[in-house]
Amino acid sequence: MTQPLLEVQDLHTVFSTKEGWVKAVDGVSFELHPGETLGIVGESGCGKSVTALSIMRLQRPGVIKSGKVMFKGEDLTKATEGEMRDIRGREIAMIFQDPMTSLNPVFRTGWQVAEPLRLHHGWNAKKSLDSAINMLSRVGIPSAASRAEDYPHQFSGGMRQRVMIAMGLTTTPEVLIADEPTTALDVTIQAQILDLLRHVNREFGTATILITHNLGVVAGMCKRIVVMYAGRIVEAGPTIDVFAHPKHPYTWALLRSIPRLDADRHEPLKPIEGLPPNLVDLPSGCAFHPRCAFKVDRCSRDVPTLQAVGDTQRSACWVTQSGTELKGA
Amino acid sequence: MLAKYVARRFFASIVVVLGVTLITLVLMDRTRGTYVPGIDLNPSLRPDDIARLRADLGLDRPFYVWYLTWIWGVLHGDFGRSMIDGSTVMSHILDRLPNTLELTGTAILIGVVIAIPVGVVGALRRGSKTDHTMTVVSVAGVAVPQFWMGLILILIFSVTLEQRGLPWLPSSGAYSAVNGGDFFDRLEHLILPATVLSFFYTSTWSRFIRSSMLEVLSQDYIRTARAKGMSERRVVYLHGLRNALIPLVTLIGLELPGLVSGGLVVEVVFGWPGIGKLAFERALQYDYTTVMGVTFFATMLVIAGNLLADLLYGVLDPRIRYT
Amino acid sequence: MIGPSRVAELDLPASGIETGAGRPAQSYWNESWERLRANRIGMIAGILILVFAVIAVMAPLFSAVLTHYQPQTIDLSATFRPPVSPHFLGTDELGRDTLTRLIWGARVTLGVALLTVAVSLTVGTAVGMLAGYYGGWLDDVLMRLVDTVLAIPAIFLFILMSILFRPTPVSLALIIASVGWGQVARLVRGEVLSVKQRDFILATRSIGARHLRLMLRHLLPNVLPVLIVAASLGVGQIILIEAALDFLGLGIQPPTASWGNMLTNAESYFFHSVWLVYFPGVMIFVTVLASNVFGNAIRDAFDPRLK
Repeated sequence: MTQPLLEVQDLHTVFSTKEGWVKAVDGVSFELHPGETLGIVGESGCGKSVTALSIMRLQRPGVIKSGKVMFKGEDLTKATEGEMRDIRGREIAMIFQDPMTSLNPVFRTGWQVAEPLRLHHGWNAKKSLDSAINMLSRVGIPSAASRAEDYPHQFSGGMRQRVMIAMGLTTTPEVLIADEPTTALDVTIQAQILDLLRHVNREFGTATILITHNLGVVAGMCKRIVVMYAGRIVEAGPTIDVFAHPKHPYTWALLRSIPRLDADRHEPLKPIEGLPPNLVDLPSGCAFHPRCAFKVDRCSRDVPTLQAVGDTQRSACWVTQSGTELKGA
Repeated sequence: MLAKYVARRFFASIVVVLGVTLITLVLMDRTRGTYVPGIDLNPSLRPDDIARLRADLGLDRPFYVWYLTWIWGVLHGDFGRSMIDGSTVMSHILDRLPNTLELTGTAILIGVVIAIPVGVVGALRRGSKTDHTMTVVSVAGVAVPQFWMGLILILIFSVTLEQRGLPWLPSSGAYSAVNGGDFFDRLEHLILPATVLSFFYTSTWSRFIRSSMLEVLSQDYIRTARAKGMSERRVVYLHGLRNALIPLVTLIGLELPGLVSGGLVVEVVFGWPGIGKLAFERALQYDYTTVMGVTFFATMLVIAGNLLADLLYGVLDPRIRYT
Repeated sequence: MIGPSRVAELDLPASGIETGAGRPAQSYWNESWERLRANRIGMIAGILILVFAVIAVMAPLFSAVLTHYQPQTIDLSATFRPPVSPHFLGTDELGRDTLTRLIWGARVTLGVALLTVAVSLTVGTAVGMLAGYYGGWLDDVLMRLVDTVLAIPAIFLFILMSILFRPTPVSLALIIASVGWGQVARLVRGEVLSVKQRDFILATRSIGARHLRLMLRHLLPNVLPVLIVAASLGVGQIILIEAALDFLGLGIQPPTASWGNMLTNAESYFFHSVWLVYFPGVMIFVTVLASNVFGNAIRDAFDPRLK
């Protein structure tokens, strides 16, 4: 088992609001190995984006209260701003959800894609632009050389996302964090972008963290996944195993709520009861217990920790940790 | 693409020009029928002399003839003649325009040079004491009547200083005949009026830049820039400011038309020999034609200024060219 | 009158995620008023303006009871008296009491400003509404007209008009409004265009509402906030313009007192009666400042997002 490339240890990130401290990331730990694809899944507000931003130390105005982010032996939470700038865009790259607003509208795309090369490798304009054009064509943009002269608004949504991916990869980083890269795109384009990310992962060997709320997306893309709820990880394991036999009631309920084409026509949909929790005022014990179909007494008292359940998975649930299987209508 | 955009803007302007000529002459028409030229100079004019004078100035022809003659004149640079002394409006304009441009141009320059840093600092240090102070000064600056500010500055920097035997600033004119009007002399005369005039620009624009910067800095592409590992300076000044300045250019563009007329009050208070003061002086003498001619000229400049601002915007913001 | 369509007005309970502050939903107007009230500085400014307005309206009363002078009473034996003895703020070159003239000047200034705003808003809204609602050639024609009027530099137009027409407070207001309506028209047209797209307009049309009804009862209330904001922000500007015209001698003529024309000969006061230069100017400044601050407060109250 190779050394993990990136290791998040008990990370806590909080935001100060009028109503109190919001615990956006509440004790998150996971590993990322070289060349691996990891998915972070959860609904809006569960803390997955903030986790990623915390890794990059871009979580402002949030504050990293405690925890470590070990990258190649160094704790990123303790690194200086200068050291972080060196790492951002060069060793760890991040691409964002909405490519229209994430690209600067007044600079040409080629120039923007080439920028990390100029900054981090010190290359001159011509050399960096050539490399950028090369990368643009490798991510599937036709006539890359002339397209590089165009502005972001002249590209379609899918193309723009390819540009962002190109921009993230120009310096061949070791880690690529993709925060909801397909959410703002049409379904057909989504498939293309995911293909591209898979291809990139294989060809460049870039470890990829894919953040999404869409289970279908991780199914096709990620070897391992981590499920988050209310700022905490509730389940982790190989994607295949988690999907086949989820070991946490939340994951179980999520999978069950997906409408299926082969279901009986009159069968009602099965949404998850209740509402997402207020992050300022989390429920006692397990954050999910008010909505849980399997809860027992202990769930409202003690906060469950992430433990091994089954051969390959880990789950933060008292019920499954004590051996109960999750089944039901 | 840019050419098409330019053409469209140009045609829109032409329509407006025609509209303005119409309004101008409709207003003028009010005076045509009644005013007797030269009556002030010679109260005992005989009726046929009056008729002859009116005929000379074309005051007795039907409206449309007069209108067309006037348009024809304008296309040849003839903006009319004074009703009082017969001097051509154009000669006055040529004489005074450079002075006005000098004044308002300097004021706008001062405005930009001060507003940008003030606005950026305000945005970066949002909520701090510095920011609050700057906001208060800006809000106050917009409320001060220009003419009054001029008077007060003259009081302080001209009158009082002179009374105390200290070096003082001149309070009127663009240069003094005595000193021969060299660069420093002109500069001395320019300081006070330009400061007064720029106050409004500085106040408004600094607040504008501040809010524009704040908005830009909250955009996603700024987050992307940081994620690429850029220094904060580069993020703010290259990626941020470049976007924040675009709307400012529009604002400045909106002021360009006012370049000729905006300084009128200041010109009068400081005796600055510009177009504004010309219009004012002539208005007091009821020299309708001169005031008319100057107004029309200024309007043409406004329309040209608007066109120029549109073009500038097209150059700066690539998204506009393609709409 | 049907206001902005908000579910809250139909009395459904405030649904959704618990945020801790479970206040009952209110109408847009109430909410805005609450926000305005919470803005201390804004309210102070508003009250100040109200005080000035009251003083202006009650000017005859004030000058009879407080200062015991009339604004146009000339007393050549008491010219250029300094403040406090017995004229509280001194006298001018004709021995007229400054304080009284300031009080009556408020009348002129605020009166002209109010009339100007009223005319600008009325004409501008009508034009903007028609242009935005009907669109097509009417829109083109009206907007070209607005462009034309706005192309002429205002100050030149004012000067021209004040020598063509005799400037009384009413005619002065009309002159200033002749440019103001254009900006209002553009604003209203913009708002109408965006509101027109909303579904509730389509719904109202589909039940057979006639054009005028649609414009007055549905579009207008939605346009109102923008108008109110524009008006309150514009008042300061109008006061400054009016004061400048008076100062130049092209506006309100003496002996009628206005803050602007009290400064027409200010340069000659420098050497002996400097206070005559300060007071009218300060009054203008304070009034404009208060109306700007209040205008900002109103804008923030209606649309806090802009902060």
